[in-house]
Amino acid sequence: MPEKLPELPRPTDAELEILTVLWSRGPSTVRDVHEAIGFRKATQYTTVLKLLQIMAEKGLVRRDEKQRAHIYEASQPCEWTQRQLAGDLLQRAFSGSAKSLMLGALSARKVSKEELAELRKFLDEYEGGAR
Amino acid sequence: MNHLESWIHTPVAKALGWSLIHFLWQGMLIAFLLWMLLILCRPREARLRYALGCLALFAMAASFGLTFELLLPGGHAAIAVPARLALPVVPPGAAPALDVRPLDLKLALPWLVPLWMAGVLLLYLRSLASWIAVERLRRTGVCAATGDWQERLRRLRGRLNLDRSVALLESCLIDVPVVMGFLRPVILMPMGLLAGLSTDQVEAILLHELAHIRRWDYVVNLFQNLIEGLLFYHPAVWWVSGQVRTERENCCDDMVVKLKGDARGYAAALATLEQNRWSAREPALAASGGSLMKRIHRLLQQPEGPRASAAPILAAGLLLVSLGVAVAGWQNISTAAPKPVANAVPLTQREPAEAPAIVTPLPKKAPVSLVAQAVPPTSDQSAPVNGIETPYLRWMHEDVAYIISDEERIAFKHLQSDPDREHFIEQFWMRRDPTPGTTVNEFQEEHYRRIAYANDHFADKIDGWKTDRGRVYITYGPPDEIVSHPKGGGATSTFPFEEWRYRYIQDVGNDIVVEFVDANMSGEYRMTSDPSAKDALLSKPGPKYFVVGEVGRPGAFPLVTPTTVMEALVLAGGFRDFANRSEITIQRGAKTYIFNFKEVVTGQNRAQNIPLEPGDQIIVK
Repeated sequence: MPEKLPELPRPTDAELEILTVLWSRGPSTVRDVHEAIGFRKATQYTTVLKLLQIMAEKGLVRRDEKQRAHIYEASQPCEWTQRQLAGDLLQRAFSGSAKSLMLGALSARKVSKEELAELRKFLDEYEGGAR
Repeated sequence: MNHLESWIHTPVAKALGWSLIHFLWQGMLIAFLLWMLLILCRPREARLRYALGCLALFAMAASFGLTFELLLPGGHAAIAVPARLALPVVPPGAAPALDVRPLDLKLALPWLVPLWMAGVLLLYLRSLASWIAVERLRRTGVCAATGDWQERLRRLRGRLNLDRSVALLESCLIDVPVVMGFLRPVILMPMGLLAGLSTDQVEAILLHELAHIRRWDYVVNLFQNLIEGLLFYHPAVWWVSGQVRTERENCCDDMVVKLKGDARGYAAALATLEQNRWSAREPALAASGGSLMKRIHRLLQQPEGPRASAAPILAAGLLLVSLGVAVAGWQNISTAAPKPVANAVPLTQREPAEAPAIVTPLPKKAPVSLVAQAVPPTSDQSAPVNGIETPYLRWMHEDVAYIISDEERIAFKHLQSDPDREHFIEQFWMRRDPTPGTTVNEFQEEHYRRIAYANDHFADKIDGWKTDRGRVYITYGPPDEIVSHPKGGGATSTFPFEEWRYRYIQDVGNDIVVEFVDANMSGEYRMTSDPSAKDALLSKPGPKYFVVGEVGRPGAFPLVTPTTVMEALVLAGGFRDFANRSEITIQRGAKTYIFNFKEVVTGQNRAQNIPLEPGDQIIVK
């Protein structure tokens, strides 16, 4: 069934966290998810299990029941969240201004098409040289 | 709105306004200096260039602050002085001209400050929103990186000698690695990046972020934001800030290369990052930094192609403009700054060259006696126009005699026609109106109120406004304190005198005390320059009687009106604690009279209460 843009509900904060783990670790069992979340804050295994079940009902995750320990997988790619959140005006306003405070490896301005081509050329040279 | 209108005329607001204007050339100057220094430095020396940039930014903030500090009048002037009607400054050259141009600039100037404040507020609100967004990013949509990455991060931290613990998180909301926080720093990696690039490349990027943390770049960036918000209107500030950011990235790049040794690999990692960003559909929620191409070129030590930079031309042009503003600015700063050096401010009086201005410290107290000022203007014997004292001349000689400046006076005399004179008078009052926008001219109203008050209260043989007290009242306003001794007072007998105390007079000083003495006992108080003029003993060899002994104010008293012993005792301040009330003697020549206070008071022996004669001595043991 070709699904264009599924009308999925917006994930809550807790659900988003689980989704993040799934995107990061790939399809995982409840135990894996619980362990990953545990790095940042203490949660109960049962809480995680409950949330995953709810998310499966909502369609946010897919459950693979072939094995004894069910494996959960995010139903949408990571970019889907960004698209979702982009619709939120407030989020947009906040994230727009957040640029000025954060530091990072790349600049806020995307490079132009010409510069990108130049980059690609450089990368190819580099890779060629590395081999 | 009315509040705002009156606030913008306070010295604080004026100082702010002028500081903003002066920063136009100060900012240009600092930016120009930085530009020159950066040209002298080689592009390799990122740390030096970064330090210079930070210094320049700091210098900009400091010069703004210093200018504001210098322009603030000292202490008291911060209090809004509607009662004293602090006049707007009349620059010396402006008075003779009857056109409105200098006035327009002065009208628009005060509104700069509220506009600027609105801008600052907006930008700071935006910064607040940023901060909230940043805090959200570290909590929502994130998960901790896997254990092995945490381990690698720990090792990298060790190589940088970084003590603070750093959290490494993956976030689905960003598409470029970012770092945030300084007490509990966090590195956020876009989802999948850790697995997507080679380990070496990821480590290089992590090193870059850790370098930011180690150098406390996040804090410096916060300060940059604050300064940018404060001085947002000056492009030089943004240019310098951009330089700082560029050099900051270069510094971190250098640290990565130093530790990893592989510049090309790192450059490739950056290029890949940028490529990935292109594939993401959403606008980047990325950090600010320099141009990627420049950084890669610099890493690979490839010289950039010569690019016709517009910067020098732009800088030269802006410098010329700002020099022009600076010249205008300095001209005004000397007249705008209300320093104690008297300038053409109509509130202060004529220069001391015109009249003996002696400042004598009173023996009893620290405050300074304000002394005889300029000669009263009625002595200005200018020939009236057409032989008749026109109402315009009367206006100049009487109404505004004490508040018109010499330049204005000369200008007024040169006017030929009545419409010109009326226009001048209108301008005169407008210049002094503290609220130029309103129909009411508070200064004018107060001035005429003072004249009326003086005429009502100080008049005796001459008009109230012509007296010394009237002059002081009209010029400086009602004093904060009046100490009145209509029957004399003090340790020695004195003439009736009044002390007027002003807590602060602009351009004169604090705690000004003016004394008026009625030395002729005529009802007319003259301003005195000599504190001892009060002392009847020294100045008036008239009929006197003496009260000595245990009384409040022993001394000599003028015998002007018929005075009885009782009255004399009261005038002398009554009895002190150990006075002998029943054995008071009055020595008249060789004769001695007895005065028993108790008896006289109870009604017995009232005959003892004799009228005094000159030379009598009342002795209270």
